[in-house]
This record gives sequence, C-alpha cells and structure tokens, in this order.
Amino acid sequence: MKQIKRMMRMHRIFVTQELKRMLEYKANFVVGVIAFLLGQITNILFIWIIFSQIPNLMGWNINQIVFIYGFSLIPKGIDHLFFDNLWMIGHFYVSRGEFDKYLTRPVNTLFHVLVERLQIDALGELIMGISLICVSIPKVSIKWSLQKGVLTIVAIIFATFIYTGIKIGTAAIAFWTKKSGNITYMFYMVNDFAKYPVTIYNNTVRGVITYIIPFAFTAFYPASYILTNANPLYNVGMTVVISIVLMTIGIIIWNMGIRAYESAGS
Amino acid sequence: MIEVNNLRKEFKKTIKEPGLKGSVKSLFHPKTEKIAAVKDISFDIADGEILGFIGPNGAGKSTVIKMLTGILTPTSGTCTINGKNPTHNRKNYVREIGVVFGQRTQLWWDLPLRETYGVLKEIYEVPDDKFKERMDFLNEVLELEDFITSPVRTLSLGQRMRADIAASLLHSPKVLFLDEPTIGLDVVVKHNIRNAIEYINKKENTTVILTTHDLADIEMLANRIVMIDKGSNVFDGTISELKSKYGQIRELNFDTNDSEAKERLVYAKHFKVNEEDVIVEQEGNMVKVRFDSSVIPVSDMLTYTLGKIKVNDISVKDADIEEIIARLYKHEVG
Amino acid sequence: MRKKLKIYLPFVNAGMQETATYRTNWVFWQLGNILGCFISYFLWRAIFVSSENGSMNGFTMPQMIVYIFLMFLTTTLINSGGTYDIGEEIRDGSISMRLIKPISYNATFLFQELGNKIMTVCVLIIPLVAGVEFVRYRFTGEVQFHILMFLLYFLSAIFAYLINFFFNICFGFIAFVIKYLWGANMMKNCIVGFLSGQIIPLAFLPEMAKKVFLILPFASLNYTPVMIYMGMYTGTKMLMYIGLQMFWVLFFWGLSKLLWSVAIKHLSVQGG
Repeated sequence: MKQIKRMMRMHRIFVTQELKRMLEYKANFVVGVIAFLLGQITNILFIWIIFSQIPNLMGWNINQIVFIYGFSLIPKGIDHLFFDNLWMIGHFYVSRGEFDKYLTRPVNTLFHVLVERLQIDALGELIMGISLICVSIPKVSIKWSLQKGVLTIVAIIFATFIYTGIKIGTAAIAFWTKKSGNITYMFYMVNDFAKYPVTIYNNTVRGVITYIIPFAFTAFYPASYILTNANPLYNVGMTVVISIVLMTIGIIIWNMGIRAYESAGS
Repeated sequence: MIEVNNLRKEFKKTIKEPGLKGSVKSLFHPKTEKIAAVKDISFDIADGEILGFIGPNGAGKSTVIKMLTGILTPTSGTCTINGKNPTHNRKNYVREIGVVFGQRTQLWWDLPLRETYGVLKEIYEVPDDKFKERMDFLNEVLELEDFITSPVRTLSLGQRMRADIAASLLHSPKVLFLDEPTIGLDVVVKHNIRNAIEYINKKENTTVILTTHDLADIEMLANRIVMIDKGSNVFDGTISELKSKYGQIRELNFDTNDSEAKERLVYAKHFKVNEEDVIVEQEGNMVKVRFDSSVIPVSDMLTYTLGKIKVNDISVKDADIEEIIARLYKHEVG
Repeated sequence: MRKKLKIYLPFVNAGMQETATYRTNWVFWQLGNILGCFISYFLWRAIFVSSENGSMNGFTMPQMIVYIFLMFLTTTLINSGGTYDIGEEIRDGSISMRLIKPISYNATFLFQELGNKIMTVCVLIIPLVAGVEFVRYRFTGEVQFHILMFLLYFLSAIFAYLINFFFNICFGFIAFVIKYLWGANMMKNCIVGFLSGQIIPLAFLPEMAKKVFLILPFASLNYTPVMIYMGMYTGTKMLMYIGLQMFWVLFFWGLSKLLWSVAIKHLSVQGG
C-alpha cells in the first residue's frame, strides 16, 4: 500500500514536471498535436474517398468503419500519452548509454521510465478518436446499458495495456541488441491492421492479429461488441486476458534485460 | 566499508569484416567473440577515504565504476557497500551512493534547476525538513543560488557540474562516485570543485571514489590510488608509495659549452649498468640525463659528470606524479 | 572529377557500415513497412470485392496490388534523412562548422545515404520486383517485365531521390522556425505521403485536386516512377513527367543553395 502511494505520488510529480515543460515549449505542443492530427486526417480522407466510390466494405458501412477506427485511436492515444518514453529506450537511451541513470536510482527502472514522460502529441490522436466516435455514434444506433458502459471503460483500459505490454517487451530487447526501436515499430505497424474490421482479412492475418500479435483486441473486437452486442465474454473478456498476459511477458523480458544490460562505451 | 572482490566483466563483441561483402555478410551472419574488459579486480575502501581510481583510456575503468554503481551486472565477483550488494538488491544499494558522470547530466534538461531537486527528493524519499536543510547546506558549499531558477540547458559547464554534484548528494549518500568531475572546466572552477569535494568529505565523512585524467585532482584530493590497466590492478597504495616505488627516476640538467658532452659522458660504462638505465640527450648547450637514483646515487652522478665536462649550471628534477603515471601507462616501469 | 569523387568514397562505405551495424534494427524496420503494405493489400482487396465493377479509376485489383508494393519499393529507394541532419545542426549550432570544412556537406550526406541505399537495393529490389512480376504473371498469364521499362523506372526513381534529397534539406531549414523537429518532420511526412500517392493513388482523387497534385513536386517523388513501371505513363506523357521531375530537381537544388546562403547570413548575425 505504501508502495502504491509512493508510486502515485511520483507519477503526479512527473506529470507536473511535464506540464511545466509543455508550458515552456508551447509551440512544440501545437506542432506535435497538429502532426498527429494530420496523420489521422489523411487516413480519414482515404476512407472518405473510398466510400464515395463503394456502398460498403464487405458489409460494413462507412459509419461503422469510422466508429471502429475512432475507437482504435483511444487506447492507442492513451498509451501514447502516458508511456511514450518506451520508444526512447529502444531508439536512444540504451545505445547512447543514457539508460545508466535509471539504474543508479532507488526506483523500479520500468516504473521510472514509464512515468517520466508525458507525450502531449498524443492529444492529436485522442482528439481525432473522440471526434470520430462522436460523429459516428448517432448514425450507428448503439443500444447503451450500464453493463455496456462499464465494459467499454474496462476494454479501453486493458486495450491500452496491450500496447504498453508489447512496447515494454520490444523495448527491452534493446538491452541485448542496443537498439530495438524498429522492432517496436514493426509490432506497432501491426496495430494498423486492427483499425479495420478483421473480417476483411484472410484467415492467416486474422489468426495472427487475434492470437499471435493480438492487436485486434485493442479495437475491432471490443468495438464490435459495442456496435452489435455480440459475445461480450469473448470480445471484452479476451481483451482483459490478453492484456494481462502481454504485460506479464513484457515485464519478464524487461527484468531479464536489465541483468543483461551492457551500457555504452567502456 | 566497500569491498570489491575478484570483479570480472566480459562483453560480446561483433567482428566486422571490411567492405561491401563484409557488411552484407555481417547483416545476416554476425561473428562475435568474448572480450574481458575487466579481468580480476579487488580492493577495499575504508570509511571516509578518497580513492583516486585511474588508468589509461580503455583500461576498464568505467566498466568497474558501472559495476560499482549497480549499472552493470558483473560476470563474476562481487562488490558490497556496508554489506549491500547491487546484484541482489539494486534499489537498496543505490540509496547508499551518489553518482556524477562528468560527461552526462542527470538533471532535467528543459526545466529550471530547482525542479530537478524537487523530483530527486521524491525519488530518494527525502523528508521535507531534511530536504530544506540539505538544500541550504548544498547551496552554501556549491553556491547554487545564482542559477537555481535558470533552466538547466542555459547553465555553463561549471555551473552544471556543481548542480550535478549537488543532485548526487541530495540524499546524503555514504559513497560518492565522481567520474571525470572536472572535465572541460577552467582552472578556477576546477579548484572550487575540488575544494567542495574535500569539504564534503571532511564534514560528512563521505567516501569518495574519483576517476579522472587530471592528475592534479588526484594529488589534491586522493589519500590513495588504485590504478588499473587492461582490466587488472597495477598499483594500489598512497601517492607517496607510488612515488617511492616508481619515483626514483631523477633528471639532471646541465648547461655546458661542450658540444661533444654526450659523447664524453659514458655513464653506462663507468657505472657498469645497461645503456637503457641512463638516458642522455643533448640539445645545444643543454644536456639532459635521466636515471634511476636507486641504482646510481645522485652524488656519484654529479661527481663523475663534473669531472668529465665543464658545467655552467646544474638543476636536479624529481619525477612528478604526472610523469610516473605516464610511464606506467606506457609500460616503461613496473 | 574522379579525384573529387574519391574524397566521398569513405562516406559510401560508412553508410554501408552503419546499416550493417544496426542490422537487426534495419531488418525489422523493413519488415514493419512490408507489414504496412499487407494492410493496404487486404484493405484494397476488400475495397475491390465490395466495388460493383472490376476496375476503379483505371486500376484493376492486380494493378492495385502491384501499385502498393511498387510504392513501398520506391518510397524506400528515394527515402532521405536530410531534414533531420540539417535540422539538428541548426539546433545545436554546429551548422557553422560547415563553413570551415573543405568538403561539401550536402555531398557527404548524399554519399553516406548512397552507401545505405546500396544495402537496401541489394536486399530488397530483387524479391520485390520478382514478387510484383509474379503477381502480374498470375493475373494476366504473361510475363510483363520489360528491361527498358525497368531502367526508365530506375532513372525516374533516381530523379525522385534527388528531388527528395534537396527537398528534405530545404525543409530542414525549418528548424530556424520550429524547434520541435520530430513533430515538424512528422507533419511533413503526412502531407507528402498523401500528396505523393502513398496512401491513395492520385487517380482516385476528385478531378480538380488530381490536376493540381500532379503538377506539385510531390507527385514527382513516388507517383511518377511507379506509373512508369506500371506502363500507365508512356510516350510523350512519360517524357513530360520525367521532364517535370528534372525541373523539380533543379528547383530544389537551387532553393537549397538559396536557403543556405540566407542561413549563413542569419548565423553571422546570431553569432553562430
């Protein structure tokens, strides 16, 4: 309990620092948010142009597609907002020896890395995600209930940790290879598969993103439950299970990596 | 208080073949070999001691320091501080130590300096009243006041170093590691930093482990030197021990009008020693003779020389620590 | 001339070494990008299945598949990191060091990237071209590979690379205005990605937008070489677009010189 209290306190301190930093560099904040907004806008433009030429996409109409796409941005954006520092591990910190500082401090290294940074750029994704959901919700006729509301929140939280878990595990590879940013990138690319209904893919891809790199549970499955009420036990329950499994694997790899860490130079 | 026993660290290294073919080959089939950066290092450090930890570039100094600070896990061997071991309980261990890497900062780059101390206070769980007291003390010793509200990126190198040292001392560690704390600083700032380190050591009995390439740091601060080379201990003792062990080298300088002095002075033959034991150089009027005074007494050298050539002026020079260490690094003695 | 080139040879080598050093990283980066291609592939397959007619805006499904993978190949070939290199130099002030070195910095970048590219070409071009040709063969029953077409594609890709190289250097000067390079670069990539047809072929855009975008330099980056390879630009049309590419190379080369001289003035005012 004391431990958790201390962690919350540290988290608060770091977030405060990051907000101060943001105020110091207001222009960066604007540029970052616009950049991520633009990235999403071009994708939405793509969807819009395509749907102006076809009536539906394998049975999914444009509103449903937009809803799933928008939903996918929420856990992705939350993970991006809070745990973006993991990218730095694989790209720079380990190869430049900057990781050393975490090891000289009496704090769990992973926790320290996770809470140290707040990536405001992620607001670009979150703003877009929320707008897309808001625009599409009136047109997709969702039947809301208390259960659905709760499960939606549960799904978003655990979907976020699917991203975080995968990032932890792949970032930790850098402890052996010095750089692993692109391994994270490779896995991250797979999450783009999850922005669209998995039914458009062939069985292999569907299998991969459901069971091997299960990004489909960050967006399509929970979103399809919200849209159609279908099978909450699988669509949301599996999101929770997979999230816990991935976080556990990630933390195990991380702890092994810390022991193998070789620092830089000699 | 600090015990280092048979520390060893091996690294895997990729061997790359030159040229396009080699690059493509190592893209798919990297060859690796194991290299022991630190072979077998042992030493003890007493409470309150200032230890100068030196060695040439690539000797394995930073690897040792990184093992002592809990950054690297040793391949074998142990290091303990007050019975605590970084491999078993890193978090507990690092509370005991403060670390400054001169080439790298642990300060929050974009924020005013004050904020860094606020964050470190949380990380090291320093209570409010203790924190205030500590900041007052560090302020006084390291004179942080002038720049504590400036963003770290705007600090000068000397200010940054003072700030970094303060950061490493915030939690009152028992052991302070200083890796190149005076690198790139001007004479005055170097002097101030050395004074501050000495003061803290005296006042709080903090054990200091200092690595540096500036031997003036060592001469001013260190009670004891540990020198390593190629991953092994080469020397362990005080500065005067170092001098008496390797410092018997003397240098005589003669001013003479004799242009053939070098040819006339046949020391090796006269004293029946090897040619390498006495080195004679002549440049115009100046003749330089370097020899080991434990083999040939200085008085005998002078008597012989004055009998052979006409001398206008003489000076005798003691080898300074800088020269001894340079010779050790070059493996000329030892 | 030969002697001049010889100075830069070590940089080619350095570029290759760099790629080799971080080989695992490089392989995964490319794997990630290829995965991205497969997402596009499935998406487009679904789009064509859902479409009432077999052809959309002049593209059939096999052509679209070829388009996706050629787009990836071309993007990789013409990719250039000048924005970062220049931007970082401006940010940390080391750009003034360029004034005291006897070699051209742009040329060192160029040659280092060339080294990088040699590795990329060695590993990627054969499987990708083979894959593309296999798809074309599967769907049409005949081998469509023409060495002349391929060479013209390659030529056009070289022009595209040069445009991209100089464009990125010009864009790097934005560091004088925007300090957050990563964000600025990301912004640029989004816009360039869209305008150069990486996300959707320009043929799919509304008539007016298409007309404008085709003249913009971004279409000269990826779109033109890919269209040439696919045989969609032939004869005078092809010559016209290659000519346009040459114009943009010269334009951005000149612009980079101009910005450089402005930057020097700015630096001397600032005092480096």
